[in-house]
Amino acid sequence: MPESSRNSPKSVDPGRLRLDGDQTLAGTLLGMRCLDCGISVFGQAVFCQACSSARLEPVDLSPAGTLFSYTIVRVPPEGWPGPVPYVLGEVELPEGPHVLAEVIEVTHEALKVGMPVRLALQEVQSGESGPAFMVYKWAPATKSAPGNGEV
Amino acid sequence: MAQFKPGREVVVVGVGLHPFGRFRSKDLATLAREAVVEALKDCGIGWREIPVAYFGHVYYHGMSVGETALASLGLTGIPIINVENACSSGSTAFWQAYWGITTGMYDVALAFGAEKVPGGPVTVTAAGSPDRYIGGDHMMAGYALRMRRYMEETGAPASALAQVTVKARQNAALNPYAHRKDTFTVEDVLNSRPIADPLTLYQCCPTSEGSAAAVLCAREELGRYGLDDSRAIRVVAASLTSGNYNGRGSDHSAFSPYRTEPAAIQAYEMSGLGPEDVDLVQVHDAATIGELQQVEALQLFPKGEAWRATVEGRTALSGDLPVNTDGGLLAMGHPFGASGIRMVHETVTQLRGEAGPRQVSNARVGLAQCSGAGDVTTVQIFAR
Repeated sequence: MPESSRNSPKSVDPGRLRLDGDQTLAGTLLGMRCLDCGISVFGQAVFCQACSSARLEPVDLSPAGTLFSYTIVRVPPEGWPGPVPYVLGEVELPEGPHVLAEVIEVTHEALKVGMPVRLALQEVQSGESGPAFMVYKWAPATKSAPGNGEV
Repeated sequence: MAQFKPGREVVVVGVGLHPFGRFRSKDLATLAREAVVEALKDCGIGWREIPVAYFGHVYYHGMSVGETALASLGLTGIPIINVENACSSGSTAFWQAYWGITTGMYDVALAFGAEKVPGGPVTVTAAGSPDRYIGGDHMMAGYALRMRRYMEETGAPASALAQVTVKARQNAALNPYAHRKDTFTVEDVLNSRPIADPLTLYQCCPTSEGSAAAVLCAREELGRYGLDDSRAIRVVAASLTSGNYNGRGSDHSAFSPYRTEPAAIQAYEMSGLGPEDVDLVQVHDAATIGELQQVEALQLFPKGEAWRATVEGRTALSGDLPVNTDGGLLAMGHPFGASGIRMVHETVTQLRGEAGPRQVSNARVGLAQCSGAGDVTTVQIFAR
């Protein structure tokens, strides 16, 4: 393998995903919270989307949420580096924002609106020889995380 | 929040359309010009009398395509504005033409749009954007997310959504300009290739090429330009909105897609008309679910009821509220920059009583709604 791809992969978007430690699959979704009206958004913001205040603070968003909706994408968009088909999920976080990402470690039959999911990171190679990124995904909360609740 | 000052009455005097489909031998400027020529001929106004033009398109085909298209008609020195507002680029160009006249700045204006949409799934972000690796940038996947929510919350069966395509194809079969004219059964639609479950291929609009144009005029100036009042159709509302904050960011809910409701409310206020006055509708049916959501957001059917109305035939040409009478995006096709003005073309043609085999009887008020990325919504209401 070329030298570059053995280096620790970078976050797919450091404004949305912070990697917690080298060579690990740990990470945190990032958001901004408005000090004036209290709403939180996913990703970076300079002004509040609800009230336009500039008084925002960075916040770590919850690593767990519920599946608001999902689809099985059979024809991927140009530039999609993963397997086909893939499951795209829209997940509602307790703080309010909805976050779109692939749902992994799940059979199509097990998918259900409202199911609890947890954040899962995966290394993704962009193109045949492009750099690798760590990408945020969702996985069922019950799988590989038995401490997390329902069966 | 929105404030409207009543201005001069505006009418559409001419409409033109180039068939939708694939036209590999024509470049974008040529496509665009051909619809403009049709619109000028339709009302009989000379090109040299057009004082301003707005051109909607999205995909890059070189700079200033609007100028290139119109230069071939003769260089007249008028302002020509290229408009990009995603799938509502054409309807935004129309909105600008309307406001240019109603405010008194111009007596006449041209709105036109054209597109050559590349094949394959439509994305919003630029190549190399993180969203391509994350997998969420996929227009039809977004519709599929909305469709699942809608089906969960309303109990709509898949067959009801497929019926939207069946109806669109029936209408398009009567329309020589349509990209897709062959008709299907519900089973054909459900058994077509899955794109993003639960959406199948025939429930997604084709990516198309085509163009459309409209000439608008201040009603009080019709005589000065020798224009025919009997074929003029009044624009009684033209609204345009973009997204407002709803607490979610990405949002593929069962109801009020793209915040259509605010644009609808503005348009009803401007016109002094209500949903009950509307005789026929063109909406943004890029996917089957889009049509159901839009007619509900426009308050034409109660929330969660449009699927039932579709199954009962109420939105068919013979129904009490025909929707997407020319085949809509699903069958007419979807060249982004042209689609919004194609809706104007169909509405004007219907209100003039010139729609031939797909004529809606006693059509007096028509509504056109177009959506675009960025939560853009346009709504226009036309009256005979």
